Amino acid sequence: MSEKCIVCPCEDVTLADVEQAIGLGYLDIDEVKRFTGLGTGPCQGKLCMVVTCQLLQKVQAADPSRRDRQPESQKEPHPFTPRPPVVPVSLYVLAAGKGADRER
Amino acid sequence: MDKPDSPLSSAERSGDEPFQIEFEGRAMPARHGDTVASALIAAGVQVLSRSLKFHRPRTVFCLSGSCGSCLLRIDGRPNTRSCQVRAEPGLRCARQNAWPSADYDLLSAADAMFPIGMDHHTLFTSPRPLNRLMQKMVHQIGGLGRLPDEDTAAEGAPSAVCKHVDILVIGAGPAGLAAATAAAHKLRGKGRVLLLESQSEVGGSYLCHPELGRAEARAALQRAEDEGVEVLVATAAFGFYGEDRHREQPSEQRGLIGAASEKVLYKLSAERYIYATGGAPQNLLFVDNDRPGVLSGRAVGRLLACHGIRIGERPLVVGNDEFAESLTAALRRSGQTVMTIDGERERLVRALGGTWVEGAEICDDKGLRRTVSCDLIVIAIPPAAASELLVQLGASVELRQPGGFVVKADEHGRTAQQHVFVCGEVSGTMATLAAAAAGARVGKCVAVELVEQRRAKASQPAPG
Repeated sequence: MSEKCIVCPCEDVTLADVEQAIGLGYLDIDEVKRFTGLGTGPCQGKLCMVVTCQLLQKVQAADPSRRDRQPESQKEPHPFTPRPPVVPVSLYVLAAGKGADRER
Repeated sequence: MDKPDSPLSSAERSGDEPFQIEFEGRAMPARHGDTVASALIAAGVQVLSRSLKFHRPRTVFCLSGSCGSCLLRIDGRPNTRSCQVRAEPGLRCARQNAWPSADYDLLSAADAMFPIGMDHHTLFTSPRPLNRLMQKMVHQIGGLGRLPDEDTAAEGAPSAVCKHVDILVIGAGPAGLAAATAAAHKLRGKGRVLLLESQSEVGGSYLCHPELGRAEARAALQRAEDEGVEVLVATAAFGFYGEDRHREQPSEQRGLIGAASEKVLYKLSAERYIYATGGAPQNLLFVDNDRPGVLSGRAVGRLLACHGIRIGERPLVVGNDEFAESLTAALRRSGQTVMTIDGERERLVRALGGTWVEGAEICDDKGLRRTVSCDLIVIAIPPAAASELLVQLGASVELRQPGGFVVKADEHGRTAQQHVFVCGEVSGTMATLAAAAAGARVGKCVAVELVEQRRAKASQPAPG
């Protein structure tokens, strides 16, 4: 095993990957997710999201002016959008949802 | 695997007659009450899976259905969480995502080829034909599992069930069980309380608690059932659909919870919702923090409390809360030589070893480093609130250390959404018994309010 500090075990995203993203100016958890792919595996961020948000919080606290240069970003730490399904569901079961009982 | 120096020990396992499950063509012993994961761990299987890109060896981490490191092919179905499947005689399972085998996976060359990390933005190469070849190779190596053996349609059509209840409680851990019990008690049979549990067994953090364990989980479930609570086990709420409604729902109401068991899709709605979704075990950042032998405190507690499995002789426990202390005491009682660090003044820098942990490098607050020998690293830090469903329905959260994205609520557990309540870890109450007490308080309060609202409605003169 080569030495790695793993942030997201599902997608094998390392601390170096996250630091690279931060170095490139991605300070929002959604941006880091899109750049590195963390949080997109079977657990959907249950292991990596909070620890990454805490890293981002530290980086921003160390240099508040960075955030001011990106006025479009959210100010408070926030989770990335947790779209359904939040746990794995088989397509076989989801298929039962179509048809008769669908009402709007 | 099955090495003589295996740190996995199941010397104290007792219970009924063992039976056998099939693991990659070999028979492995299992006992009543085992999951596939616990049986394989007790049998000495060290590497349970290989990671997606680097093919690094992995084993269970959370043992509670939230992480993705115990995925096996079970009875022909790929990517199944082995910690959530009951071991049954004749069950067949195999590791996936490795060549020629998960023990000696040549694809782990990727780990050495990308020593820092894999930046997929620079994975494209030129000239074009070479790029095409490489992309094809990457697709072959990456990915999880192969398609199922048989067409699942042969197993019969899945069914859809719609339910509208008075109070829906999501999560049957200490908080959820107590909330459902208290609510049903107050409603006194004049309303339906439905309790959902995503895992294959109710109990949540009771199951990981060395002093409470299965006995307390079963007692709490009995109390809930005695009050008439309906319980759905192995049924996970997977999403909130705010615009949708189902046929059993009152016509003025919108929004439903989608939940799924292995064979049934549920569309659920309620007059009041209580979210007791608990939390997901977290890891710390240190070098080789994914090495097999680095397990969450909850996984270690659960193996000990529910399965009688003790791993290793010299564990290193990281953590300083009440749970870390009771786990340390329980490990000591089981005969292990336990080292502890608090994770703050002294923190982990590196997990040493091969395909299993053999030691750890520790750094103190003065920057002094030392190496200790251990055969298990137990990450007993508080979990992060499982607030995904609540964020979907618009609840506001705040990042806490520890605790993760905790849902904001008033002293009665009410969120900004009037009909949505929270209790337990998802609202920041971490200790097991405190979570149960909070659950009982919130459940009672929700039921009392619902009864009062109905009484007020009934006493109003009918319109027109």
